[in-house]
Amino acid sequence: MKVSQVLCAAGPVDAVTNQALACRALFEQWGWGGKDYAALSASGVHRRAIRPLQALNAAPDEFMLLHYSGYARGLERLFDSRRQSVLISHNITPARFFWDNDPLAAVRCELGREQLAELSRGVGTLAGVSAYNANELRLMSGRTAAVIPVLFERDRLPPAGDPPTGPPTVLFVGRLAPHKRQDLVIQAFAAYRQRQPDARLVLVGVPQSPAHLRALERLAQELAPGAVKFESAVTPARLWDYYRSAHVFLCLSEHEGFCIPLLEAFHFGVPVVAREAAAIGEVVGDAGVLLGDDDGIIEVAELLRIVVGDTELRAELRARGERRLAAFDHARTAEKLRKQLMTLAAT
Amino acid sequence: MRDPREALEAARRAAAQAGDDGVDQAPWSLEHTPITMRQLVEWAIIEPDESLVYSTRRFGRPITALKRLLIHILYQYLGQISAQQSRFNAHLIARVLQLEGRVRALEEAVSASSEPPASSTSRPGDRST
Repeated sequence: MKVSQVLCAAGPVDAVTNQALACRALFEQWGWGGKDYAALSASGVHRRAIRPLQALNAAPDEFMLLHYSGYARGLERLFDSRRQSVLISHNITPARFFWDNDPLAAVRCELGREQLAELSRGVGTLAGVSAYNANELRLMSGRTAAVIPVLFERDRLPPAGDPPTGPPTVLFVGRLAPHKRQDLVIQAFAAYRQRQPDARLVLVGVPQSPAHLRALERLAQELAPGAVKFESAVTPARLWDYYRSAHVFLCLSEHEGFCIPLLEAFHFGVPVVAREAAAIGEVVGDAGVLLGDDDGIIEVAELLRIVVGDTELRAELRARGERRLAAFDHARTAEKLRKQLMTLAAT
Repeated sequence: MRDPREALEAARRAAAQAGDDGVDQAPWSLEHTPITMRQLVEWAIIEPDESLVYSTRRFGRPITALKRLLIHILYQYLGQISAQQSRFNAHLIARVLQLEGRVRALEEAVSASSEPPASSTSRPGDRST
């Protein structure tokens, strides 16, 4: 079998790009051919691994897998009535988060939602990386949509190591963007720091825009001077060190289509405190503490104090995190993907 | 404590006792606030800011310097492009303002025509105004 993959955009540290590459590795393992293409490629993406979309000359019956993550010109033409195709939605952030700070990103998100709705009516099969995404697709298209979770390559991560010994460290990993709500993370951390003055916060992620980064830095300087570290360009080894030295992973995102860092936190045995929003609840399951809509930063600050200080609770959360990872087992997800593609190929 | 839900309840109780400590909290859920016309007008005219050139790479300083040098070299060309975009933006804003004015005028006309005329409250045969 030959499967070509199409990405809306590719980047060297992009989760969707990593997914496509992980899928390609599986296809090769299964003896399947095909190439990968992206409508837009950031610098640092190897052109041999992911080619420009213009280079794709697909035969009408060619089997294609579209990883949809945002607007890209020309996809409708390529996928219109292409029955031999699967669209996997990695989710599009609602535009409302960007109108104030990055209107161009907001426009792209709006266009992306419209395009996704159109594509979802024309492709062969639909899938989302989470039930949340799949449900969005169902509502858009009126068709069924499967759930094929993110391929989590746990084997590529180093061992968790010993529990952290330094000062209480709160960690969040994710693009510095309005919907990830690092502003709330900083506020909650500042409130926690009143109870634990030596605590520190590490925010790892590439900024959505320099203006947003400056606003977050100002907030951090005002509320917790010297205690917040921003890291935008980290090597994998450094990122793993941050996980190892963290006492708690705090995610207050208002919108996530999946959130791989939650799984990474489970792997490194970091207790997770997260807000139950979008797909976060289904990824965390019962392995973390989930905050509701009625909670606020004081509740988060108190929770951080409890989670950091209660060794019994920490051990329980670590054990639950380990169990939770079984639901995202690589072999299981790979089999699901293979079945989905084989079923489509048989029709 | 072994149950995460128990931890959350304990945190909620502690938070209720602690009060807000005078913390000025950002909204838990973000709502989009419509952009004002003044902001749109400010954004319409593009003024390239060299300080916004940056690199997120580990050793990004020479790359940033190179990018700034390129901007200097291409200054004339970039000026042409941004002038073209600014002209389009300004015309678009002018059109939006014009349309807003028309919508306002139409709304006023509609509400004026839907208001009951003063004479309608009069009884038939009543000729007073």
